[in-house]
Amino acid sequence: MGEMDFIQNEVLPSLFEGLGTSILLIIPSAVFGLVIGVAIGVFRVFGNPLTEKLASTYVAIFRGFPLVVQLFIWYFGLPHLGIYFSPYTASIIGFSLCSGAYHSEYVRGALLSIKRGQLLAAQALGFTRTGTIVSVILPQALRRALPGCGNELIYLIKYSSLAYMITCIELTGKGKIIASETFKFTEIFMIIGIFYLVMTTIAGRLLQYVEFRLEIPGFEHYGA
Amino acid sequence: MSKPPVLRAENITKRYGKKVVLNNASLSICERELKILIGPSGSGKSTFLQCINFLVTPDRGRVWLDGREILRTHKRDLNAYRQKVGMIFQDFNLFDHLTALANVEIGLTRVRKMGKEEACEKAMQELDKVGLRDHIAKYPAQLSGGQKQRVSIARALAMDPEVMLLDEPTSALDPELITEVLAVIKDLRANGMTMIMSTHQLNFASEVADEIIFLEDGIIVEVGPPDKILYEPECERTIQFCSKMRELYGNSR
Ligand SMILES: Nc1ncnc2c1ncn2[C@@H]1O[C@H](COP(=O)(O)OP(=O)(O)O)[C@@H](O)[C@H]1O
Ligand SMILES: [Mg+2]
Repeated sequence: MGEMDFIQNEVLPSLFEGLGTSILLIIPSAVFGLVIGVAIGVFRVFGNPLTEKLASTYVAIFRGFPLVVQLFIWYFGLPHLGIYFSPYTASIIGFSLCSGAYHSEYVRGALLSIKRGQLLAAQALGFTRTGTIVSVILPQALRRALPGCGNELIYLIKYSSLAYMITCIELTGKGKIIASETFKFTEIFMIIGIFYLVMTTIAGRLLQYVEFRLEIPGFEHYGA
Repeated sequence: MSKPPVLRAENITKRYGKKVVLNNASLSICERELKILIGPSGSGKSTFLQCINFLVTPDRGRVWLDGREILRTHKRDLNAYRQKVGMIFQDFNLFDHLTALANVEIGLTRVRKMGKEEACEKAMQELDKVGLRDHIAKYPAQLSGGQKQRVSIARALAMDPEVMLLDEPTSALDPELITEVLAVIKDLRANGMTMIMSTHQLNFASEVADEIIFLEDGIIVEVGPPDKILYEPECERTIQFCSKMRELYGNSR
């Protein structure tokens, strides 16, 4: 069997399977991460002192602990407390919480950049505080946070490769297994690298499109 | 003065740190009246107006609308009250992410829970009233200062307020744009809107105000009809301020 045939028949199907798992890790983690990030960002800027403190502590911990360590805790640590997660669930929890911590920083910065007058104008119309945040502040802040959050999403695609450390065999994990069986390290990891590159490129394009669709006079990102 | 006042604010005091920015300021206004607040920059005009609708929390003082005291701690009452008291800001504070039309609609749909279609129709009417029919689809960044301020007036009017508070509505505008905004305010006045307005436009004040209130260092120094305050004031500080304003903005007579 020729080299190309071997890769095409044996390696690629296996890698595509891993790629599927990767995508199934990335998409929910991205969604949960964003939701968490927005919520935490809002609590940090508009919360009461207690929620503000809790949110800051959350961010400090989840940005401070190495992600692998967090994954180990979710997967290997919690069973000691009688809490069991599948490798897949533990990975999603780990990625979402970590990603949320980073997103919240971008969201917080964007929230702080919205002028106080916007809040005053909404309150003067009779908006509740929550209504003001939801209808006036967030729509503006999220537009500003988008480039940063997009960056975090791209990171997420790549650090999803850590899931194999807790036996959730995604793209990188699959590659490692096949590579150690076949010793074709270079070829396999090059292919994997290209897979990630394709994913990040597609994600980048999607984000650009979203930015473009949400663009409003006065909120353009010049030159980006 | 037999009519009861629509809005009454009593003994409003506000401190920032040790500085007393507003000291026991009171005012009341009856239906269809226009009262104008004048005073040097930093005298507390904005603070006074913002204390009236609790955008700034006064340290002391009480506010009544239609004889009912407004309690800041009752969130629902406070929000209902704010709907009835329109506010115009010096720097417009239009919602930057919304078109002119959406700026006017949003209070109707989100606060008054009006249906989308009805809100749109009402918003169009209000924008038409301020002469912006042709600009409804523009975003704040695409409007001139005068247009922005007129959108903000339409936004406030859409809530059908009983009283309007206008905080230096023309101070951020180029001279040639001031007239278009003042014309809208005169229109409101002619239609019987009750208004409290701070301004440096003494000519305008002398033309339209029922009463002028002179504020300095957070204290109401003198109150009276325009002819008295602008031309025969009793207090030395009022005289000084008015003559300085005339130097800056030209004489009115
Ligand atoms: N948030 C604030 N913190 C501290 N000082 C303030 C604040 N807002 C206003 N002031 C002070 O209060 C005084 C009155 O301000 P303001 O009401 O804006 O005056 P005016 O509108 O007449 O120019 C000024 O000295 C100003 O510096
Ligand atoms: Mg002011």
